[in-house]
Amino acid sequence: MSLRMMGWWQRFKYLLPSYRRAQEQDMRAELESLRAMAEPGELGNMTRTAEEARAAWGWVWLEQLYRDVQYAFRTLRHNPGFTATAVLSLALGIGANTAIFSLIDAIALRWLPVRAPQELVQLKMQSPRRQGPPGDTFSYDIATAMAGRKDIFADACGFSGASFDVGPRGSVSGVQGVWVTGDYYETLGLTPALGRLLGRADDRKDAPLTAVIGYGYWERKFASSPDAVGQSLLVNGVPVTVVGVSPRGFIGANVGSVADITVAVAALPRLQPAFAPFLGPGNFWLSILARPKPGVAISRTEAHLNAVWRQLAEQVISPRWPAWQRKEEADSTFDLVPGGTGISYLRERFVRPLVVLLAVAGLVLLIACANVASLLLARATARQREISVRLAIGAGRGRIVRQLLTESALLSAIGAAMGICLACIGSRFLVATLYGSSEFPVTVDLTPNWHILGFASAVALATGMLFGLAPAFQSTAIGRSAVLKEDARMTRSRSRLLSSLVSAQVALSLLLLVGAGLFVRTLQNLLNVDPGFRREGVLVVDLDGQREGYEDARLTAFYSDLLDRVQRIPGVVSASISTHTPLSGWTWTEAVAPKGQPVPERDNAMFVGAGPNYFATMQTRLLAGREFDARDRGTANVAVVNQAFAERYFPGRNPLGEYVSATVTKPPSELQIVGVAQNAMKDSLRGTPRPTVYVAYFQRGSGSDSLEIRAAGSLSQIAAAIHKELQPSFPNTPVEVRALTAQVEQTLLEERLMAKLAGGFGALGLLLACVGLYGLLAYSVVRRTKEIGVRMALGAQRGAVLWMVARRALGLVAAGIVIGVPVSWLLARKVQAMLFGLTATDPGIVVTAVVLLSMAGLVAAYFPARRAARVDPTTALRHE
Amino acid sequence: MDLLQGTLDMLVLKTLLLGPLHGYGIAKTIRVNSSEALDIEFGSLYPALKRLELKGWIAAKWDTSEFNRRAKYYRLTPAGRKQLQAEHSKWAGFVSAVGQIMGPVPEGGK
Repeated sequence: MSLRMMGWWQRFKYLLPSYRRAQEQDMRAELESLRAMAEPGELGNMTRTAEEARAAWGWVWLEQLYRDVQYAFRTLRHNPGFTATAVLSLALGIGANTAIFSLIDAIALRWLPVRAPQELVQLKMQSPRRQGPPGDTFSYDIATAMAGRKDIFADACGFSGASFDVGPRGSVSGVQGVWVTGDYYETLGLTPALGRLLGRADDRKDAPLTAVIGYGYWERKFASSPDAVGQSLLVNGVPVTVVGVSPRGFIGANVGSVADITVAVAALPRLQPAFAPFLGPGNFWLSILARPKPGVAISRTEAHLNAVWRQLAEQVISPRWPAWQRKEEADSTFDLVPGGTGISYLRERFVRPLVVLLAVAGLVLLIACANVASLLLARATARQREISVRLAIGAGRGRIVRQLLTESALLSAIGAAMGICLACIGSRFLVATLYGSSEFPVTVDLTPNWHILGFASAVALATGMLFGLAPAFQSTAIGRSAVLKEDARMTRSRSRLLSSLVSAQVALSLLLLVGAGLFVRTLQNLLNVDPGFRREGVLVVDLDGQREGYEDARLTAFYSDLLDRVQRIPGVVSASISTHTPLSGWTWTEAVAPKGQPVPERDNAMFVGAGPNYFATMQTRLLAGREFDARDRGTANVAVVNQAFAERYFPGRNPLGEYVSATVTKPPSELQIVGVAQNAMKDSLRGTPRPTVYVAYFQRGSGSDSLEIRAAGSLSQIAAAIHKELQPSFPNTPVEVRALTAQVEQTLLEERLMAKLAGGFGALGLLLACVGLYGLLAYSVVRRTKEIGVRMALGAQRGAVLWMVARRALGLVAAGIVIGVPVSWLLARKVQAMLFGLTATDPGIVVTAVVLLSMAGLVAAYFPARRAARVDPTTALRHE
Repeated sequence: MDLLQGTLDMLVLKTLLLGPLHGYGIAKTIRVNSSEALDIEFGSLYPALKRLELKGWIAAKWDTSEFNRRAKYYRLTPAGRKQLQAEHSKWAGFVSAVGQIMGPVPEGGK
């Protein structure tokens, strides 16, 4: 051990109470022995000598800190009301911020638990002509081509989330999984917990069907048995061999969902025949993660990739695409963006709302800080005498400021500790609002990591300084001459500081209220949008008849039969079948034009294949003509168009009986328009309805489709009856009966999250601001008891005294509003894109917020005002 | 006479070169050896002893004094000896540098 280390060791030992006591005793004995040898007084002030000798250990600052903390604890314990208010406001503020931050962290900032995640890149593709965000999904051919270019990437892989039906016939259950290309695990650099992981050999058309299961699934379903490897799982009714278990902690590169079962893409046609075309070159559905060659800069890898892409494009772009589309694809350029945090649809959907919410929660925290600062200021008055005495007997100002700051740091530390606990609960609740009623919950890793603890500590430290500094300096800023005297100038400056704190709180809570108003109204506006169908009372069932072995004509007959059976169930008013249901996330677009005009090359209309009674079931009004019925089978092709389509292609004319040409069939067929329907939303409640063509469902086969059933009476009972009727026909797939309302709700998750939280934070901010206002008024009424007594003795009426307090409150609120309104206009503009049906500067919302704040201000003023009006002049004058 | 910054440590080490001494003895030895010119305050000496002990340059042990009293004796450690050599040459360099500038006592000085 080196000398320096030994010195540190000695010093460290000094921190141990027993060692310190021994040292103290030894020193006392030594000094005593020396005193006995020396002349009286020769050695000077021995106490001071001992004190300075102790400093040699270098722990004096720690001892002082310890004493400060001890003292702060005592003061806080003796003022339970003050402490509880302060700690609770801080815990709420810090907790709200930490909860939202931990969700942002989980969705967007955590590294995947893989080898060197910081090296991974995600591929994105920017088309030269098309505007909008770059594409981030690619075809199977592109993904495998990237993996093959070892000159560019050390490894590359494509993957996409999936859900499988696992189990023997009759008792299947849905399991989340992922389709991966052969190099998935190699790219991520993982080692199996058991058995082996998938490799290139598994990703071949004729390879045996194999799967890797997740660690959690292995624990749950196989009780961590080593025999799991080699067992056969029935996935979508097909036996698949389990070859290994992925490492603990790794739940897939798709952040937000757990990959319990991982299967190679090449197995897709065998496990899910309906989606076999996904392997074709025209389907873009795989995300690509790649690891550039070691030591090569990302920019160079990117340049290299773009240089070889033109030549590569020839081999991987669908030859069936029209020339313009092939050229656009070949002209596209790749962007390599950091991919070590995995890939998640949650990011683009929720990070922006969450960042806005973090800002909102920040405002709440500021209000809480202002509250604690005013509490500390008010208390500083009570402690002024103590502080003055300490200053007078020679305590340094720095020392007292340090002690007061220790107290605020202690407050914020307790607040932060409670806040982190609140955040742990709060972030779980937040995650639940991210997936609504969908079948598979969003699963993210929320265990506190150093990101979150660091964030919470930084926030706590900043808040502690923020609310502690002003009161600390203010209460020690006292002239030595004025010591021990009531300093009028100082009281004035303190009450000015208090007033501005309260006005700042009012301004902040105005911002929160305006934000709450904007987001709540946005949600209401979206809920009130007429989507062109009536979602209440409709049940939806997704069907996959191919999975059960039906094809072509047999499939159509099977679905027809299902429809008949469903219609006979008591309580079912009407039922129909369609290729997809509105707002389900699925859309179908095709190119179409009135007969005689050239059919455009690009998609220009939305298509829906709808069966008989579709419009009656959805309660989409028909403006002219008829809807599909039993006649619409066979070859006489008919179509119903929506109003937007009719207005665009047949302006001022009756489209009934006209023909349109569409690429729905090969060769393009002509469809006779037999009806015009009102516009209905297909992909989102926002925006304007696009031109839409409905084609008769039974005139063209399909694969996976949906039944929609309008029911009268108890939806849950009828849903159960439908389930009971249909499930026996689907031994390989679980039948799920959903309410259409829930499906529409799923598209409003962000808006609901924003409305809920912004509303909650608005209420919390208002409450905290009222507490602040109440505190200030109550404090000033107590201080002015004597003045009020004099006024009343001189004949002031109770009403006048009441008004005096109320006026003060209104003045403070007005000052806050004057600052808050322009700031709210500036800030609200930043969220304009998230709003619907109103502008960011909606005057109605600002007026409502102002009225609400003024009313809340008056309520907060009521109790202090009543106390002021009850002041008894004689008692008040005697008081002093 | 006031001491230059850092000189006290060197004086203590030098004093202990002669043999172990207790705190009071060190103060007295310095005073006597400097012909009463250096009167070290005990209030500065004692904390210096604690510092040197922490640095490992001196070590302490309870022992019986010449008057049969128990006292804590300090002695130089090998590291302290090395330190003293370093300080000594530094000091010598300093004295000769200052001496060169100052030269003989200027005329007119009393």
